[in-house]
Amino acid sequence: MIIPGEELEDGQPFASRSRPLIKLKPEEIVNDPFRNIGGGLAHLNGDTRTVSRKASASSTTSLSRDRSIRSSRKHKIVDCLLAQDVNLADLRRIAWSGIPDEVRPVAWQLLLGYLPLASAARAAALVRKREEYASLVRLTFARGREGLDQQIWHQIEIDVPRTRPGVRLWMESATQRSLERILYVWAIRHPASGYVQGINDLATPFFQVFLSAYIDSDPEQLDPALLPEPVLAAVEADTFWCLSRLLDGIQDNYISHQPGIHRSVKRMGELVARIDAPLVEHLRNQGVEFMQFAFRWMNCLLMREISVRNTIRMWDTYLSEGPDAFSQFHLYVCCAFLVKWSDKLRKMDFQGIIMFLQSLPTQDWTDHDIQLLLSEAFVLSNTWQNAQSHFT
Amino acid sequence: MAESSNYDYLFKVVLIGDSGVGKSNLLSRFTRNEFNLESKSTIGVEFATRSINVDGKTVKAQIWDTAGQERYRAITSAYYRGAVGALLVYDIAKHATFVNVTRWLKELRDHADSNIVIMLVGNKSDLKHLRAVPTDEAKSFSTENGLSFIETSALDASNVESAFQTILTDIYRIVSSKALEQATDSIKPTQGDSIAVRPTLDAPSNDKAGKCC
Repeated sequence: MIIPGEELEDGQPFASRSRPLIKLKPEEIVNDPFRNIGGGLAHLNGDTRTVSRKASASSTTSLSRDRSIRSSRKHKIVDCLLAQDVNLADLRRIAWSGIPDEVRPVAWQLLLGYLPLASAARAAALVRKREEYASLVRLTFARGREGLDQQIWHQIEIDVPRTRPGVRLWMESATQRSLERILYVWAIRHPASGYVQGINDLATPFFQVFLSAYIDSDPEQLDPALLPEPVLAAVEADTFWCLSRLLDGIQDNYISHQPGIHRSVKRMGELVARIDAPLVEHLRNQGVEFMQFAFRWMNCLLMREISVRNTIRMWDTYLSEGPDAFSQFHLYVCCAFLVKWSDKLRKMDFQGIIMFLQSLPTQDWTDHDIQLLLSEAFVLSNTWQNAQSHFT
Repeated sequence: MAESSNYDYLFKVVLIGDSGVGKSNLLSRFTRNEFNLESKSTIGVEFATRSINVDGKTVKAQIWDTAGQERYRAITSAYYRGAVGALLVYDIAKHATFVNVTRWLKELRDHADSNIVIMLVGNKSDLKHLRAVPTDEAKSFSTENGLSFIETSALDASNVESAFQTILTDIYRIVSSKALEQATDSIKPTQGDSIAVRPTLDAPSNDKAGKCC
């Protein structure tokens, strides 16, 4: 018997191939996001047995080892998440190497400090934050369109439809209205930066991940209008608060003259000069400046360079690294990312380099490619992060 | 890589104007013959090139497409340096984007070379029923400000080719007449000399002569 919320043996959400499938009693998940995780643990035990039986039959041992590593990591993180008081250090350590889809919504919210670590405090905190957001929205839009800052609203209005063109979820009106409210309320509350193009990109991983808690199908194929109203309101509020926390750490990227980005790009140039001198030499000879390509890497946290799926995996690690990761660790990721193409770039001229870096061949990147990138960045950060005094 | 050196002239051109007027689509229509109704916003700057023929010469345009949002002005204005041409784009269906043309001209005055060739481009001419900027109004504004003017549609491709062809030809005429002025001064004979010298330097027969002694 298949119950909504269960998985098939192959680990795929069972309805992912066909129509969107909403979990049983989604309203109950709204106030108790851990509701399915307890059940999930029992289910995971069953899953392990099935997998080992299947694997021995097919005798693909590496596949079975892979799966058992994954399933043991799942157990570890589920154990960690189900503690009365979640141990943040443990959670960070486990989550650094990737978070299973099923627990990602709660894991991200804990790592960001949005959900309290103490389980007893969570329900009340969620109710409070969602009410707070709802009242911000009411207040902000109380005087209708005419009451809005026309310049900010106009920019948001033209950017929202082109946030993820062609992806069903992001073409649906319900999603677009949500995103407009999130971005506008954030912009009004942060007058030093206001809304800056690219912040819309950064909201999308949160929205998709939080939406995934309520469905058993691909969020990108969903029309969120099918969800009960309180569910969509919760996804919107959670996205708002988590986006706010992320942006708190990188506000300098978006204020006047964008000093955070200038600092990061400069630092990146200095780092790459140490890591891959021949590449930097070649870029200099060709007249390529880091600002010409790395500006976007900082402004959109590489979201224009890699897929949303890849970004989500990357954020598992960023969120585990701590609050500075989106400015500090990201710098090392960008260095590792550039150096990755070094051999190719060193054979290209100015035009070739700029065009190549503008549309990198990352379309087929899997979690594995991201993990490799993150490991490389980790090595770089260990080597260089305390070596700032060496820079002249 | 090899292709990029096949040109007689290389001109840097910038695309500027308010957010959402269709700058990126004008560029993709001109360089790749592509149009996307919903394309992502440009962050910072993007780059593309295309070569065209003017008077039998290959003119290569190196075009920098800039983000329209105010916040990006500090980064985008850095790209005005060295630009010999600017396409200043507005949306014929959004009057505010035409009003802002004055501010964009000021941006160019503040950051670009004073000799930069500027063309005013009224884009989205396919939106006839939504027109908010009369052609005559834009035309007389252009005359007053010494700009060339054209209306385009990146969507149906009308006048896009012509817009780039015109501005590149204008730039070519200015640049080549300057080069001619310089050439008539004293450079002409030396050009002939340098061509004659080159082959003897590279000639393999020199090797033999060297070994002989």
